[in-house]
Amino acid sequence: MTLYLVKRLAVLVASTAVAGVAVFAFMALLPGDPAEVALGVNATPDAVAALRKQFGTDRPPVVQFFDWFGGLLHGDFGTSYVTSSPIGPQISDRLGVTAVLVLGGMLVALVIAVPLGTFAAVHHRNPLGAAISALSQVGIAIPAFLAGILLVFVFAVQAQALPSGGYVPIVEDPAQWLLSLLLPWLSLGLVQGAVLTRYVRSAVLDVMREDYLRTARAKGRGSTGALWRHGLRNASIPVVTVLGLQLATLLIGAVVVERVFVIPGLGDLLLNGVAGRDLLLVQGVVMVLVAAVLLINFVVDVAYRVLDPRLR
Amino acid sequence: MLRVEGLTVRADSLELVHEVSFAIAPGERVGLIGESGSGKSLTALSLMGLLPEGVTASGTATMGGNDLVGVPESRLKRLRGQDVSMVFQEPMTALNPLMRIGAQVAEVMTLHGTPRARAREKALDLLERVRLPEPAQIARAYPHQLSGGQRQRVMLAIALANEPSLLICDEPTTALDVTVQKQMLELIAEVAPALLFITHDLAVVASVCERVLVMYGGRVVESGPIREVFTRPRHRYTEGLLAASRLTPRGTRLPTIKGSVPPAGQFPGGCVFRNRCPHATAECETVPALTGDGHAHACWHPAD
Amino acid sequence: MRGRMNAGLLVGGVLVGLVVLAAAVSFFWTPHDPTLVDAARKLRQPGGGYLLGADKFGRDTFSQIMVGARTTLYVGIVAVGIAAVIGTPLGMIAGMTPRGWLSELIMRVNDLVFAFPALLLAVMLGAVYGPGTLTAMIAIGVATVPAFARVARAATLQVMVTDYILAARAAGRRRPAIAMRHVLPNIGSVLIVQASVSFAIAILAEAALSFLGFGTRPPTPSWGRMLQESQELLFSTPRLALWPGLAIALAVLGFNLLGDGLRDYLDPKLRRVRAES
Repeated sequence: MTLYLVKRLAVLVASTAVAGVAVFAFMALLPGDPAEVALGVNATPDAVAALRKQFGTDRPPVVQFFDWFGGLLHGDFGTSYVTSSPIGPQISDRLGVTAVLVLGGMLVALVIAVPLGTFAAVHHRNPLGAAISALSQVGIAIPAFLAGILLVFVFAVQAQALPSGGYVPIVEDPAQWLLSLLLPWLSLGLVQGAVLTRYVRSAVLDVMREDYLRTARAKGRGSTGALWRHGLRNASIPVVTVLGLQLATLLIGAVVVERVFVIPGLGDLLLNGVAGRDLLLVQGVVMVLVAAVLLINFVVDVAYRVLDPRLR
Repeated sequence: MLRVEGLTVRADSLELVHEVSFAIAPGERVGLIGESGSGKSLTALSLMGLLPEGVTASGTATMGGNDLVGVPESRLKRLRGQDVSMVFQEPMTALNPLMRIGAQVAEVMTLHGTPRARAREKALDLLERVRLPEPAQIARAYPHQLSGGQRQRVMLAIALANEPSLLICDEPTTALDVTVQKQMLELIAEVAPALLFITHDLAVVASVCERVLVMYGGRVVESGPIREVFTRPRHRYTEGLLAASRLTPRGTRLPTIKGSVPPAGQFPGGCVFRNRCPHATAECETVPALTGDGHAHACWHPAD
Repeated sequence: MRGRMNAGLLVGGVLVGLVVLAAAVSFFWTPHDPTLVDAARKLRQPGGGYLLGADKFGRDTFSQIMVGARTTLYVGIVAVGIAAVIGTPLGMIAGMTPRGWLSELIMRVNDLVFAFPALLLAVMLGAVYGPGTLTAMIAIGVATVPAFARVARAATLQVMVTDYILAARAAGRRRPAIAMRHVLPNIGSVLIVQASVSFAIAILAEAALSFLGFGTRPPTPSWGRMLQESQELLFSTPRLALWPGLAIALAVLGFNLLGDGLRDYLDPKLRRVRAES
């Protein structure tokens, strides 16, 4: 098991490094010279050269890469060519916001999916279970931003109960903070919940057909008790693996939801950076997002092995 | 001790087992033989209330004053694993892959009131009793670390834990190697209380059981002490079965029963065997009743 | 192909058919020119020649929906096409040489690409080459390659252990021949199902991209962008959000149901093989 952990960690590190190269190379393709862009069309070649030296963009790309990546490793994301402000703090400020958004969304999704999915599986032969199944099909057809708009319409426009956007930091006003996040959480959570419901249902159905449930009943458990005690833990394995996948999807969904609800998170930062051609900023944010996805995959792989003794 | 009367098992409108009746005395070893599709597994499952979804049983089965058929799950589960228990055919999938063996054995005891610590101790004893080497190690192991034969012994340990009055075995050795089979059968013969042993293998049933019921087409066609039934079969189906399993001298053809077992719902009316029986006549269009004390048969033209 | 017609296939087929129909008809006729700005018709209510009303620029909503269907299908076809053409051979190679270094490499790279969600790729691509339908299609296509590769690999692994493959190899057939004549036809059904599912995901991705401004540029109509434009008028004219939203949801639902229906129709046993395995 430890051997596996070490190997998997090595893969994680290697993947992150390769991702870094990919992101850097990609951004290097951006046409235009940051120094020229910063100084404008009328800049003298000398001024441009001097600024290049200051930015460090006169050095060979390989050197630039190592400098940048090395900086990343101890939290230094560099200074923006466009705004001249350090990128690291911008990212860390907003990382918390996005993280809360994503985790809240995941929680909502789980709260919806686990009971509904289990119910749908246990009652898969009767109309109620089929109805839930059908409902989940509809749920996954709705993109998160559409759900967001719908929710805004219902709760903000019609009912006037919740804000249609904006974000209040928790330190300023906890109550408003919660309210401002409620609809975004629901937008993410409802859609992901629908997807997860289908997986939970499928996992529980598979387990229901297993022989060891019959053995449990032969020992003296009722069918519900057998499912609880023996089935759910077994069913959670495929669900946990999907959870990891979903977390990554949620991360991306958050990017869009932040737009809908005007929430100052990483997604917002990314989009602004792209609009403003802030190369270094975009590089940094993309790197953080990709690293997060890789990390989540790592955690899921390990969790999968911890849960299932057959894999050790 | 166990009395079954008119047990009928249906899947929707299809009758799979028809009016089966028999009894098992305390400590008696009874075999239930038949081919696939004879309804023997379903008979056993209905005694435990473990029929699959969509399949229902009617009739009566009582054991020690308790009803087994037509009783709600909440009542039945108190009897399962305690007064009557079962060992299934497929050991590879019968155990929860995520739980340690010891815990799974202990579970059957804690479910019926044994305190945890005591159950764990007893689990070790049971593993020893079913002749598993290094019981302590096995208790800490997971199912995938054990062989099929070992897993089946664990199932036996679980079945015997609460000292039930009746043990039902549904083809417990069919999925095992021949050598392992023999050991398993010896073990069962040694430790079982009253036993209902289901199999399609005539040699196996002969080595374990005192009395035998022969099933075909969802009905009991012959029953009686093993010696008698196997040496002087009365029902033509039993006769055919025995002839087909006997080694024949060189140069002669292997006797077979002509035709094949019809799928459920397509058995002929009247005597359920008549479309394959060389002795069938018009009389056989009426259902023959099970007649005879001790050695009973349901046939209009029994052998000898 | 064996199997029976089922509800998913029917409903999904009808929904997809509607989208295709709308797109096809739009080439010949739309009630009005969807790109025609007409200040006089600004925010006109449904009625008259404007079945679903007009938006804040006076453009007819119904016509926009019809032409938007074209974009939706266009993106789906190209994206899924890219993913299938690149991902399938990769997956097959990985499946036919499971212990080889090439297979390991392919799967590792696959996982890496998987870590770059379509949206991210599209944003990055858009930053370099400018946003638009083409960059969206390529980004979504590349992001979908891992799904196809995984499914192709899993299905290939299942096929490789069958007896007729062993027979072909025993007869001396070379690998490429086995791949084309034996493996490909047999993994075909799984790939078709995956194509349908990926199509649905591509539609969602394109809608999200257009919503963010990284998809189809104006004036070409796009359902996602229509949604984005409707946002500011949500309080006053909610119907502007209703129709594109409904269109997206129905299209995605259609392809998902079609995928499920195809899976049940072609071979119910295929339910096992998924991109996540």
